Amino acid sequence: MTSRRTGWAGAATVAALLFASACAPGSDNKKDSDEPSSVKTDVAKMGKLTLTVWDQEVRGGQAEQIAALNKQFEDKYPNVTIKRVSRSFDDLRKTLRLAITDDKAPDVVQANNGRSDMGQFVKAGLLRSLEPYNKAYGWSDRYPESVRALASYTEDGKTFGAGNLYGLPQAGELVGLWYNKAKLSKHGIEVPTTLTDFEAALAKAKQAGETPIQFGNLDAWPGIHTYGFVQNQFVARDDIRNLGFGRKGASWTSAENEKAATTFADWVKKGYFTKDFNGLGYDPAWQDFAKGKGVFLPAGTWLLADLQKALGNDLGFALPPVGETGKQAVTGGTGLPFAITEASKHADAAGAYINFITSPEAMKLIAKAGNLPVTDVDSAGTTGAQKEVFDAWTKATEDDALVPYLDYATPNFYDLLTAQVQKLGSGSEEPKSFLDNLEKEYTSFTASNGG
Amino acid sequence: MTSRLERITTYALLIAASAFALYPMGLILFSALQPDSVGGTGAFHFDNFETAWRVGHFGRYMANSILVAVVVVVVSATLSSLAGYAFGTMKFRGSSALFYLLLLGLMVPSEAIVIPLYYDLRGLGLTDTYAALILPQIAQSLAFGVFWMRQYFRSVPPEIVEAARMDGAGHGRVLWSILLPMGRPAIITMVLLVLMWTWNEFLLPLVMLPTNEGLRTAPLGLSFFKGQYTEGTSLLAAGAVLVALPIVVFYIFAQRHFIRGMLEGSVKG
Amino acid sequence: MADTVPQPPRAGRRQAGPPGEPRRIAYLYIAPALLVFGLFFLTPLLHAVWLSLYEWDGLSVGTWVGLDNYRLVLTDEALREPFVHALTLIVFFSIIPCALGLALASMITRSAVRGVNFFRTVLFLPQVVALVVVAVAWRQIFAPDGPLNDFLRTVGLGDVARGWLGDERYALICIGIVGIWVCTGLCVVLFLAGLSKVPRELYEAARLDGAGPIREFITISVPAVRGELAVALTLTLVAAMRTFDLVYVMTSGGPGTSSRVPAYEVWDRAINKGQVGVGVTVALILTAFILLCTVLINRLSESADS
Repeated sequence: MTSRRTGWAGAATVAALLFASACAPGSDNKKDSDEPSSVKTDVAKMGKLTLTVWDQEVRGGQAEQIAALNKQFEDKYPNVTIKRVSRSFDDLRKTLRLAITDDKAPDVVQANNGRSDMGQFVKAGLLRSLEPYNKAYGWSDRYPESVRALASYTEDGKTFGAGNLYGLPQAGELVGLWYNKAKLSKHGIEVPTTLTDFEAALAKAKQAGETPIQFGNLDAWPGIHTYGFVQNQFVARDDIRNLGFGRKGASWTSAENEKAATTFADWVKKGYFTKDFNGLGYDPAWQDFAKGKGVFLPAGTWLLADLQKALGNDLGFALPPVGETGKQAVTGGTGLPFAITEASKHADAAGAYINFITSPEAMKLIAKAGNLPVTDVDSAGTTGAQKEVFDAWTKATEDDALVPYLDYATPNFYDLLTAQVQKLGSGSEEPKSFLDNLEKEYTSFTASNGG
Repeated sequence: MTSRLERITTYALLIAASAFALYPMGLILFSALQPDSVGGTGAFHFDNFETAWRVGHFGRYMANSILVAVVVVVVSATLSSLAGYAFGTMKFRGSSALFYLLLLGLMVPSEAIVIPLYYDLRGLGLTDTYAALILPQIAQSLAFGVFWMRQYFRSVPPEIVEAARMDGAGHGRVLWSILLPMGRPAIITMVLLVLMWTWNEFLLPLVMLPTNEGLRTAPLGLSFFKGQYTEGTSLLAAGAVLVALPIVVFYIFAQRHFIRGMLEGSVKG
Repeated sequence: MADTVPQPPRAGRRQAGPPGEPRRIAYLYIAPALLVFGLFFLTPLLHAVWLSLYEWDGLSVGTWVGLDNYRLVLTDEALREPFVHALTLIVFFSIIPCALGLALASMITRSAVRGVNFFRTVLFLPQVVALVVVAVAWRQIFAPDGPLNDFLRTVGLGDVARGWLGDERYALICIGIVGIWVCTGLCVVLFLAGLSKVPRELYEAARLDGAGPIREFITISVPAVRGELAVALTLTLVAAMRTFDLVYVMTSGGPGTSSRVPAYEVWDRAINKGQVGVGVTVALILTAFILLCTVLINRLSESADS
């Protein structure tokens, strides 16, 4: 046994050394609170500097606009070099948490709005409040309240949807109703604007042997969108906002929510969704729709370019039908907002950069590249589905119809909701217990959060 | 000597098992040759490979992968042979404790250490460098390497070593001119396995390269490619084929030695 | 420390090989490996142990919670489920491949199959390709309109067809089937190696005694590959317990939580949800479990050896 002891003694020595030098994790993350007394906006006078920007604008039209804007910014201010690091949404999320605590953290980052990302960054003091820049550049004049709320937190990170502005997005997005015009006219269906019309349309499509709603939920997150689409028919907008932002004052077990869950389960039973949707991936599902399978597809506006390429003039887009609430509600929000890190040594230049890539001129460029700009949407000169998307966005923002993604609510809500919607869809969870499970997480979070 | 029926059954089973093994790979190859956009037509789109190579920057990423894999394999094979020699042929205090300590490397999921490792390397200023990709992977490969080489050295009949030592050969000579040449198949097997694991590693490069895009490895490139092109599966499949191809070719090329490595005393009989 | 300082070999002290080896020279041979391993594996591992004692989101300053994370992981129903799933996967990654591998290897050896090299190469191929790459193909195979359902419909089993990965009862089994696909080739190759060392005379003698294929298998083949069996069990068991890529790409742990496994839980908690302490604790408990199994297997095989 002597041989063992030597080995363990060695390990123990290493361990002792490590523990001796250690204190609580994260305590060496420096936080310098050098709030600027005044914001400088003249980038040309800031001297030579390099801005590191992390974005997830990797796909076609998104990549095109950001590359063009970066170049314009560098041309306008030759003293600034932009070091762009881009990666897909998933990869960005995985690495940002680690890199943002570095004292060499990037200056500008695109951070996911929800509590599990931006909320925690704000709470840990890793992002700067953009209020000084908001004042200097007058963003509040151009960005409606409902859009700013999606990137606003109180300073302690506890309240979401109010407080300081921490990020500014470029693009808007809506989970609306894509439809196949050819199929609608073939089966004599009008574009539904009310829930009654929509359910009648679904029944008609089903009878004609079509798949009424294209849906693929193997990746789990599409369930958030499709469930939200149904919920918007029954639950008042402010209730959905409280639920989605994880604020007190609403309940998952209300009669309206029960109607929503029952309707979702009912549509499954009636075969309104794609058969075996829990086993079908998100991409195959919309690709099937693009190939002409299915009549409706409740999904995000980010599919515009891809769907249009395949369906052309047969593609249509509408806001979700108005249901029992009598008011338009649509799940949506913005693309990931651009934020400034606390560690940035060039915060003023970063502020000017964010202002530049969200300016009215930038919005034109964003639209031209086939994206939905978050402000200054001008549907003049656009046609077809793009025009329908632009008009829907304008209408939704003017009507205050936007409601947040439900998974923003609590740090655990994404996992819980996606799993629960899959179970509700497979029938292994009844609407009642489905809602009870969501309510449990929501109330325990709001109670402990005090928000 | 075996009955005809038995032989036929054996072949039938082997062919079925081979088909099962090949089918998913055939499926990827098949998708890679489909038209990329929805509604495209025609068969055998070999241009998908060219497009994926160009658009996905696979040239650059492959070069990084090759560099990382070669350094990891050479260094870890050398260190494993030295350590395996000691564990396999010598008796010393603490040998079994130290051996199990190394074996930990085979058992700890990399998800467990990748986060502390990131903070450790960042403290040393090593993130975003080749060192951050290479050193941890050498450490992880050592666990298997030492395990494997120890098995090989234990399988060598002690008389061979003893005879050489009687003739006055030192430890180093015995290792270098007798045991290592004899163990070539075992070493090639180890090299192939470590090369495979290093080539396919994904999580570590993802976390260790927060900003330096220039150092991305091929599987990482594939993931970024996946995030960028969602409109069709063909280009993605073509990218997947490109990433898998070098290692498959190397395997087919080295498989004779590899199999001999398995046959000749990699495991104590 | 003095007795661990490596010393260069001196001519006068040389002795014949083991067991009379001078002990210290061994440390010289293992030092470089231990150094790299210590710095880039053990240090982060100890760092992980330290992190497991904190509640930490990876962003702000952590709070010391002692053994609370361990208590949580061991008592939380939601965290126990993944471990049960991992145990299920052992059947698919270890037991079935070892059984299949043993059967195939002994059949190949008995029948002296031609083109054995070809079969070995092909059967091992699934080990070579990155799981991230093949998982994409398997997802396609199990899709509602995928090849598997097409096949079932052609043979008249259309009623059985379903969205396999979307069914809570089958998602984990589907992952397991990919496990069989990955691990069987490895087992075949290892067992062929073991069987090739059996002298042919042994088989001939057995046959003269009138032994059938089954008895021959039990009395000659199985004992002959005991060493390889230990290696195969160790490697496949570790693969089963560490499964991550397959779940990540194929099901993301769903539907519901029906295919969540410990390594996925580690990744999700530590990197996705900012529960670094809990995530790391899951990893450490998983590690302890794997370690226990490995030591057990090796003990068994060594005691059987002697």
